[in-house]
Amino acid sequence: MLDQVARSNVVTLAEDKLYVLQNVLELDGRISAYPAAARGYAMSNLYLLKQPDAAVLIDTGYAAHEPVIRAQLQSLLPQGTPLSLFPLRLNEFMSINNIETLAARFNIEQCYTGNPDAAWWFDFGAVSDAGGSVLDKMKVTVVSRDEALPVGKLGDRIIDVFQAPVRLISTRWMYDRETKTLITSDMFTHVWRNKPEGPWFVSEADDPSSFQHVRSFLLNTRYWWIEGASTTPLRKAVNKVFETYDIETLAPGYGAIFRGRDQVEKQFKIFDEVLASLDKSLHTSRYVDRDEER
Amino acid sequence: MNDATTAAVVSKPKPTVEGHVPGSTLHRHNPLPREIAPDVYWLGECLEQRYKGVIYHSYNAAFLVIGNDASLLVETGHPKDFPHIERQLAQLLEGRAPLKYLFITHQETPHSGGLGRIMSRYPESVLCGDISDYHLVIPQYADRIRSMQRDEVIDLGGRGFQAVEPVIRDLRTSWWGFETRDRVLFPGDGFAYSHYHQDGHCGLFAEEAISLNLPDVSSTFADLALFWTKFADMERYVERLEWLLKKLDVKTIAPTHGLPIKDMDGTVKKVAEGLIWASKAPEAGIL
Repeated sequence: MLDQVARSNVVTLAEDKLYVLQNVLELDGRISAYPAAARGYAMSNLYLLKQPDAAVLIDTGYAAHEPVIRAQLQSLLPQGTPLSLFPLRLNEFMSINNIETLAARFNIEQCYTGNPDAAWWFDFGAVSDAGGSVLDKMKVTVVSRDEALPVGKLGDRIIDVFQAPVRLISTRWMYDRETKTLITSDMFTHVWRNKPEGPWFVSEADDPSSFQHVRSFLLNTRYWWIEGASTTPLRKAVNKVFETYDIETLAPGYGAIFRGRDQVEKQFKIFDEVLASLDKSLHTSRYVDRDEER
Repeated sequence: MNDATTAAVVSKPKPTVEGHVPGSTLHRHNPLPREIAPDVYWLGECLEQRYKGVIYHSYNAAFLVIGNDASLLVETGHPKDFPHIERQLAQLLEGRAPLKYLFITHQETPHSGGLGRIMSRYPESVLCGDISDYHLVIPQYADRIRSMQRDEVIDLGGRGFQAVEPVIRDLRTSWWGFETRDRVLFPGDGFAYSHYHQDGHCGLFAEEAISLNLPDVSSTFADLALFWTKFADMERYVERLEWLLKKLDVKTIAPTHGLPIKDMDGTVKKVAEGLIWASKAPEAGIL
């Protein structure tokens, strides 16, 4: 537990508005979100959007981190604060593993998802074999593929939620108008570090992002299928996000966070160049074996 | 992007049919478990998914393989299916080889939702396959996780269970499973399709579900759940699939989401048609 606490962190992205709850992931070949050969450390990032009357937690993290996540939340939220949960991927443990335990311990106002029957998906028996009873009481609020939602009841803070333009499974991205932050779940997760201490914000001096790094990262993780795909519609969808929103922080679900307009622009530019380079006009789509490293 | 702030609030359906197992979403008798090959049992229960006013039925199945010395469970089911799978396991394992191995094709929760509770119920059991992420999901059982490499075989006594190439997959950490005596393939997300509850397809083999339009339901599932298949050349993946089926001399296919398949020519061809067709049609979106 002490080791877990030492390897966790709460970082303020905007005072009283936006926090990231971080827990270290050791890259030893056992983290599915990273290439099998990656070594070092990444972060599991949960984002807490806070208002005077309520808060929203984006993703709920892994069960191994639950005691720390609970402590992180308690350090930020006055007891009884209405808390909404928003898992960005309904099928993945990183997003939903702790919904049941948080529902048992916090004043959960609702859980946002794209599936009206989502409560069926969260019962891992973590609280007890009767865990379903906790989930039965939890309100589920269905969110469409493209929707603006208020944080709290004051109506002065809106988040835009939409389908991830490039995804492996059902995934939402989210834009927080107040802090100009784009939360991107499993995309832009390509910066890991040699030390658990980070740094977990990317600056120009320590940014490993390059065309080759991002290309290799995508092809060796969950975007193994992109080479030879028709990437024109994907590029259009990604560029639409970049052009629609005024983004100052790029906040992925794993790894380091990108801050500043220049960094954001750089990351989108590299991503676009990589997608363009992988298009079917330049590569023949072929069968890709599970263990092929590129 | 719109400014609507009217997200719909729903409550969970409350099954009321007499004899219905709590936690079920299916308002009728559950036809599972069913033996699909000698001592290979199909477990779980249908999942109803509401989408655009239509209810789609599909499976997030688990399969029990019973050997002379040990039994193995393929997938641990959707979280909601644990009460069913627990009961089905207890019924089928009575007097048989103990459940020693769990094999999950990949880490998505519809495939692995019951993992912690099954490991708790069966303290001898070891999780095998690709081991990514599980130390974070079930840290209390981190010492009961064993990595399997490609083509590695677990001996169950009289039959083996092999980790094989996952041709159709999403997470890079996927494996498919193969039972070596009766030649049953467990392809995880491969051969994924819904079925028609109203036509009585629940619990049937694909070949028994006469009215099931396989190309249509296969393409619909791909469109809704396998985004990448809209962008890749699926003819290459179908070729590899056919190669694997021949190489392994598969006799039965036991998909996690679709109905089991016995006809390696006719039925496989129809599912492949659906995958190829879906890859050429515009993407409609996801659940």
